[in-house]
Amino acid sequence: MVSRRELLKGSSNSLLLCLLEQQPMYGYQIVKELEARSDGYFRFKEGTLYPALHRLEKSGLVIGKWQMLPNGRQRRYYYITAKGLAKLDQERTQWQDFLKALRLVLQPETSGM
Amino acid sequence: MQVMTPELTQYLENIKYRSKLENSDEAEVMSEIEAHIEDKVQELRESGLSQEEAIKTCLGQMGGTKVVARQIYEAYSQGSWKQVLLASMPHLLFGLLFTLNWWQYAGWLTIVLILVLATTIYGWFHGKPTWVFSWLGYSLIPVLAVGLMLLYLPQIWSLLALPIYFPLALWWLFRIIVQTTKRDWIFGSLMLLPIPIIIGWLLAISPEIKLTEASLQRVYYFAPWIGLSFLALGLTIAAFIRLRQRWLRLGLLAISGLLTLTLVVYYTTGRLNTLTFLGLILVMWGVLAMPPLVERFLRSGRRLTWKHKDTADSHSKQSA
Repeated sequence: MVSRRELLKGSSNSLLLCLLEQQPMYGYQIVKELEARSDGYFRFKEGTLYPALHRLEKSGLVIGKWQMLPNGRQRRYYYITAKGLAKLDQERTQWQDFLKALRLVLQPETSGM
Repeated sequence: MQVMTPELTQYLENIKYRSKLENSDEAEVMSEIEAHIEDKVQELRESGLSQEEAIKTCLGQMGGTKVVARQIYEAYSQGSWKQVLLASMPHLLFGLLFTLNWWQYAGWLTIVLILVLATTIYGWFHGKPTWVFSWLGYSLIPVLAVGLMLLYLPQIWSLLALPIYFPLALWWLFRIIVQTTKRDWIFGSLMLLPIPIIIGWLLAISPEIKLTEASLQRVYYFAPWIGLSFLALGLTIAAFIRLRQRWLRLGLLAISGLLTLTLVVYYTTGRLNTLTFLGLILVMWGVLAMPPLVERFLRSGRRLTWKHKDTADSHSKQSA
């Protein structure tokens, strides 16, 4: 059985890109948003979020920019790039194909076959 | 609200120490994680937890410093192809000097040495990027060369100069190793890697460490193989820069160093006996083992700074 951690590891890039496609976010916001949107299923070890974001940044898929908040604190917001959008598109198709195939195997009676 | 307690500060310090980032990246990464911790603790406090409970929960959810720091290291460690070129260049330059037999022209030697010194000084004072450490190793050659030249002084002067020069040279070398180790000890090993190889060739060419007609003939004879060994070092450094994992980088240095030494012994066709080979392996082992030992020594000198280390890590383990 694949652990939830392994599943998250394999899908973290897609999840991060998908969230940033909606709007630019900073690290803590990403953690909260991911948890809320997955109904608590996806939980990062929060410290490991930053290496994941920085890997994406090094690959040119996202770009980080420091911004000053009204309360005077600084946050690093991540923006998805055009390269990131193209990659997300590619990964989204890949995941949809995977999920479709998985459903066909796990629930053959409800998949219209 | 004051969020950063000594415990949290220590957690950040441990990540900083283990992730071995360049200064420019380090400030950004640490500020980002610090902001995250502040947000998290503040939110937990607002949900009704005490300061102590909030910190404990926060550290648990952040993850252990070893894991976080390793992932940060791997996210930043891979150098660009430009860095690969810059880092392997001194090895390739010395390789060319011998392969093309330019080592006999004082002009080429001077140009290469000036280039090595200038590039090293530039890199050293511009944030010590990874590529500078392979140049740094070669910038120690003039120190060795001056020491060898002292052997040519009249015997009485030589006897007077050598006991003064060698401790000074060793002290200077140690200072450089300490400075390099402060950045990351693995760069100390990277910097010193050519030393056993160069010693091997020196012993094969002139066991009495004196430049004679016969030893010059041997340099001519061995030049392509000397060039090849420098090329092997250049390729090693290129692979080192591209690798992300620390254990792979260290393994690469050890295996490549050993193979290059074997190549030296093989091509010197019997001029280096088994005992010398074993001695060179010992020097290679020293090259790999000394920088982490120096780091350990330096770290134990700052033991007070690290005394909360285990507390922070154990918190995150307990809560994980």
